[in-house]
Amino acid sequence: MSTSRPGIASQSNNSGPDSVPSSRPFTDSLEDNLNELLDRLGESADVVVRKLDSEDVLPIALVYIDGLINVDIINQSILQPLTNTLLQYKGKESKESAAEHLRAKLLPITQFQECKTFESAFSMLFEGHTLVFIDGNKVALSMDTTGWQMRSINEPTSQAVVRGPKEGFTENLRTGTSLLRRKIKSPDLWIEEYKIGARTQTNIALVYMKGITDDQILKEVRSRLNGIQTDAILESNYIEEFIQDGKWTPFPTIQNSERPDAVAAGILEGQVALLIDGTPFALLTPATFFSFFQSSEDYYQRYDVASFLRLIRVVSFFVSMTLPALYIAITTFHQEMVPTPLLVSLAAQREGVPFPALVEALVMELTFDVLREAGVRMPRAIGPAVSIVGALVLGQAAVQAGLVSAAMVIVVSFTAICNFVIPSQVISNALRLIRFVMMIAASVLGLFGITSFLMFLMIHMAGLSSVGVPYLSPVAPMTPRYLKDVFVRAPHSLLKIRPKLAAKQEAYRQAQMSKENLEHDSSNKGGQSP
Amino acid sequence: MNKLYLLGSKKWHTALCISLTAVLLGGCWDNRELNEIGISSGTAFDWIDNRWTITYQVINPLSSSGTMGSGGESNTPPFLTFTEQGTSIMEAISRSSMTSTRQLFFAHSRMTVFSENMARKGITEVLDLFLRKPDARETVNVFISRRKGRDILDQLMQSSKNQGAGVQLMMQQEANLSSYYPGIRMFELAVNLASESHCATIPEIKLSGQEVMDTTQETAITDLPSRLELGRLGVLKKDKLVGWLSIREAFGLTFLTDQIKTASISIASEPNKENVKDSSFSLLHSKTKVKPKWENDHFVMDVHIRGGGMLLQLSGDVDLNKPGEINRLEQNINKQVLSYIQDSWNALQKINADATGFATLVHRKYPRRWKQIKASGSWDKEFRAIEIRPHVSIKIERFGLGSKSYKNIEKE
Repeated sequence: MSTSRPGIASQSNNSGPDSVPSSRPFTDSLEDNLNELLDRLGESADVVVRKLDSEDVLPIALVYIDGLINVDIINQSILQPLTNTLLQYKGKESKESAAEHLRAKLLPITQFQECKTFESAFSMLFEGHTLVFIDGNKVALSMDTTGWQMRSINEPTSQAVVRGPKEGFTENLRTGTSLLRRKIKSPDLWIEEYKIGARTQTNIALVYMKGITDDQILKEVRSRLNGIQTDAILESNYIEEFIQDGKWTPFPTIQNSERPDAVAAGILEGQVALLIDGTPFALLTPATFFSFFQSSEDYYQRYDVASFLRLIRVVSFFVSMTLPALYIAITTFHQEMVPTPLLVSLAAQREGVPFPALVEALVMELTFDVLREAGVRMPRAIGPAVSIVGALVLGQAAVQAGLVSAAMVIVVSFTAICNFVIPSQVISNALRLIRFVMMIAASVLGLFGITSFLMFLMIHMAGLSSVGVPYLSPVAPMTPRYLKDVFVRAPHSLLKIRPKLAAKQEAYRQAQMSKENLEHDSSNKGGQSP
Repeated sequence: MNKLYLLGSKKWHTALCISLTAVLLGGCWDNRELNEIGISSGTAFDWIDNRWTITYQVINPLSSSGTMGSGGESNTPPFLTFTEQGTSIMEAISRSSMTSTRQLFFAHSRMTVFSENMARKGITEVLDLFLRKPDARETVNVFISRRKGRDILDQLMQSSKNQGAGVQLMMQQEANLSSYYPGIRMFELAVNLASESHCATIPEIKLSGQEVMDTTQETAITDLPSRLELGRLGVLKKDKLVGWLSIREAFGLTFLTDQIKTASISIASEPNKENVKDSSFSLLHSKTKVKPKWENDHFVMDVHIRGGGMLLQLSGDVDLNKPGEINRLEQNINKQVLSYIQDSWNALQKINADATGFATLVHRKYPRRWKQIKASGSWDKEFRAIEIRPHVSIKIERFGLGSKSYKNIEKE
């Protein structure tokens, strides 16, 4: 829909307009202004111009974009007062003072701005404001009449929990920030807004806790946001790919979440959240490898169960990454490792299978990925058909036809199930790719190949960082006191220190925060007891 | 600074070189699919007409595949055997590729059978092969058969489809529960033969009947006329089979070499009827200590056996509550064990093979004298002159319910 424009690179902030005549001011003439405005908008069908002019009355025009405004507000707060004023006016005063009068006294509306240029007028219009042009004035009045159709707050679909809040972000940015505000009632919750995307003018909120988030991180995120030179931001992944650290890695270095509670928890631990208008998925950065194994439900369940589940996730991660590769390696290289009865039974299953184990595994894994993709695309009504096809035709029938061995079906399906255990979709998607490379390594060099590839992955991961935070922290570099919330989840009463994300000033800040927390606690108690 | 940098880079180069050599040393260069290999579960070595005859037992996966897939036919044999001959072992082995459709895979082999005439000829060539071949497992159990080794491998087992594994289980159970003699694995055999005494023992495997049950229809009856069973204990001296110990003699040897796990001993309960073994004792733990001693002109072995267990069966007119009764029974047990040991010792002296490993003990205690013995090659003479002084002290730790035999209770 667009090409990148190097010409805009000189601008520090991308919120600036896109078209060549930058910042053209309005003229005196109402007619000229309206003509110019409509001309620039290409007389689009949804632009509504309402002129109020009669013989002895000051000419006034209302401009808004249909669908973005609330008609009731316009009727009650603009049209009604305006018509009253106009009736009273009858040319008594000058045109300038009329405008002043309107703005100061008459229009009962909360958000009220002045526009002097076409460009600012456009951005106001697209925000859902209504512009009032008054003849003889170089200033248009912009009033917030926002009111478009919005989705209500629903349960998050991608990160459902059994216990825990059931609200999720919506596409509306303001809803998102309000959900966060409702969770963190602290003046330290600071929200900065950016407009990114020369054409989409997407609002992006950078949310953080003043005093907890490391300034260094904040600075880095800000500068990366400001560095984005694009004309369209339609989803948070656009931002994620623009600001993530390494481009050439399958591992995500930025978390995303649909859950306000998860984002609030991240913010409270010093992460920076990015809410993007138009998508319910917020970003959290910096994110370490192990943060992808944490589910918000870990903190809503008893710690022992949560720890167990978290360990299961870590194990599933490795199983999902290596199981098909291990199967290939063991059945084609290291048959001596398998207990004899198992080997005999595996050999019996492979009897008559026409393909080598690698081909068998690749075919089955690809089949599963195709099924999974089909399941996502499939209309809901015929969705169950996919599972029938998958389970019966590709599983049982393929085994009975002797195309694949039964053990391979078990391996592939268990791998797939393990993949779904990981709470973060991004990292389980990364696994889907890594798995194939791993299988090829296993088919070439056996267990040795798997180990080599795992070491390669380890080295690669150790080299990654997320906004300056080492990707494998707190395991590498090892910080034992932060391990309480990595592989297991210690009881809340023991999680006294916030996991360190940035290297500097952490101890000092933690000390200050804990003192503040104490004071806060005592003041709370004081407030409740009387 | 520059020097340091160079040093660092050199280190990296070394690390890189080492990791690259590791690629070559990985040992898993050989990729083979499961349906290209024939999983061998047993091997037999025969010496027939001055030629090596090697029999492989290869698992037939189709018969073990349960209900899934195309296999599971009950009348296919669970394993197949191939026999090859050659003037050398390797020749016989390489000929196997001319009959077998699959590459033989030995890592899961569970037993190796030597025929008696092959064992009498000498087993060093086989040992060498096992220690050298990369895919041969030194953990296979070794057996000697008086019949041709291939007869043993052809015999079907009823409860265990994989015959090699079945025999291994049989051996393990025997060694654990009755302890007549322990099984021996290839590497133990090599170690024992290379030790100072140059002796080892190998259990005999035999068929209880004359026929070889080698078709699947034949095993479809409850009582097979011919089964695999463990027999006597073959004694090897300097890689050649030199004689046999009966099970009773082997049992004594197991006491002497401290390899008893649990065993049952039949004893006489009444003092006046010494030869009526009407009670039995289960030995649960036992420890043997052998101390060599040089006395005047010969070695004396002080054998101390301590053990304990429970009375399993008691007949006869005995009341354990009477003072001294338990003591007397213990004496009987000790006497019984002593007689096992003495029998075993006599048999060994007759064969003149130091299967007890006394040579190692002597070497440890009297290194100088051992040097002389070794130099003059007089251990055989010394061994014949050895006197053993066994001291057995086995305690009855439990005797179950009731202090009298059930027979006595009935009488009352």
